[in-house]
Amino acid sequence: MIRSTKPKNNRSKRAIEKKESKIVENSKTALFIPGNTSNKALHDITVDLSALKKPFIKRFTKKNSILPFEDSSSLEFLSEKNDASLLILSTNNKKRPNNLTFIRTFDYKVYDMIELQALANYKLFEDFKKTTFQVGLKPLFAFQGHIFDIHPTFIQIKSLFLDMFRGEQSNLQDVAGLQYVVSVSAVEEDDNDTAISKLPLVYFRVYKLKTYKSNEPKLARIELEETGPRINFKIGRVQHADPEIEKEAMRVPKQLQPKERKNVQTDSVGDQVAKIHVGTQDLSRLQTRKMKGLKSKYDQINSDEEVEDEFVDAISENEEEGEEEEVEVDQHVLKKRKL
Amino acid sequence: MSTNTEITRKPVTVDKPIEVEYDLGLLCVNDPQPLEHTKLTDATKRETYLKETTRDNVQLLVNQILSLPLQKKDSITLVELPGPIFKLPREKSIPKPREPTRWEKFASKKGIQKKGKQGKLVYDEETKEWVNKWGYKGANKKVDNQWLVEADGGDSASAENSETSLMDPRKLQRDERKKLIQKNLVQQKRNREQ
Repeated sequence: MIRSTKPKNNRSKRAIEKKESKIVENSKTALFIPGNTSNKALHDITVDLSALKKPFIKRFTKKNSILPFEDSSSLEFLSEKNDASLLILSTNNKKRPNNLTFIRTFDYKVYDMIELQALANYKLFEDFKKTTFQVGLKPLFAFQGHIFDIHPTFIQIKSLFLDMFRGEQSNLQDVAGLQYVVSVSAVEEDDNDTAISKLPLVYFRVYKLKTYKSNEPKLARIELEETGPRINFKIGRVQHADPEIEKEAMRVPKQLQPKERKNVQTDSVGDQVAKIHVGTQDLSRLQTRKMKGLKSKYDQINSDEEVEDEFVDAISENEEEGEEEEVEVDQHVLKKRKL
Repeated sequence: MSTNTEITRKPVTVDKPIEVEYDLGLLCVNDPQPLEHTKLTDATKRETYLKETTRDNVQLLVNQILSLPLQKKDSITLVELPGPIFKLPREKSIPKPREPTRWEKFASKKGIQKKGKQGKLVYDEETKEWVNKWGYKGANKKVDNQWLVEADGGDSASAENSETSLMDPRKLQRDERKKLIQKNLVQQKRNREQ
């Protein structure tokens, strides 16, 4: 835990406010940490991965001795210190060669972790033709394989890559900004090649989009060109998110939840049907036909009438007296009608 | 490779046995088609196979994106994206609403409503002018500026407050005002702390 003090000037106050949680969140910052055993290959791979994530990155140059699955306290410290919730630790040893540990944090506490080991046949940006795209654009994503919908580890991988590269949230997208695609593929789990791993490999590819005019209107023909990095990942140790923390992290703030529309429905045909509530109409002020006889000074407001009115309500109840009274009432109604 | 694809001209529409799923809010396409294991393990075929499947999926995705409502601003075409479907975890928990202050708690308990803006000016009946309630030529400083101040009460008053009776009533009034300011500052501070 980092000691927090009351800000003494406006600059530090602003810095603290920037770190505070927001309703609409900023893009997550990725922190690349070389582990104690990191090597040149891992350095190159992280450079390329960070190039895709730019500008929301921080890269450490010095090596850090961190064992994420044994003790995550220093990761949590670095996450808070740098306000970064995506940490990528690179380590290399005999058991887990070229290992990248992807750690996500929630409230500066470890949310989930996954180890992805880059196989030796990786290729970097520089191994491809010099076709590049602009920095900071949002990529398209393509996840190939049914396993990304069912297997918890692969759902985590999908969530991780989406979270990492999606860029800033917005509901508007420039068509010209659709320049590259991150493609992640995996075969089904029941593969015969158990020698490599129990879980299938993850194929991470990045392609640049080339659009051509097509014969059909409003549609563009797409061609792809690989730009790299091209990495085949082998899955190592995995730590899933705690269900309770996951529930907390997935919560959508009230302000962002879509407003429920009351009294509006769509019927089976697809038409919108709405119920409209109108306030009670004030009929006493309704303009009727103007006649001399209807003037208020001719109103017969006397005790008899009031008594009659009471009987009107009570007709059904006391039927014994009812007959006489009813007649009277009828006459009264007739009188009014004549007038 | 690239020359070959130029010649064959890939189709704009792609048919898949299982429908692909789109998550347009994240610009994402999920292809549930099982990948061919033999092609992926064969290092020579793998890259073309992956590229072909990705191209088909991206073609489908782009077709979907371009069918969304468009906005044209100058030379830029913007697409209105729907909300994302796949849920991603937040970075930090949802900000909590601010704790009510000591005064706000008290006011809600007593049912005290917030007054609207009262305005700073008040009408002075004597001079027939609008003057500030406080501040420069403020109405609360009336006594301060008078050259003659009426003595308060009769004999009893002077006997009782013998200390203050000899003091300048203008200063007394001014001190009272300053005291109120100090009191309010203390209240403000306490309000902020709790």
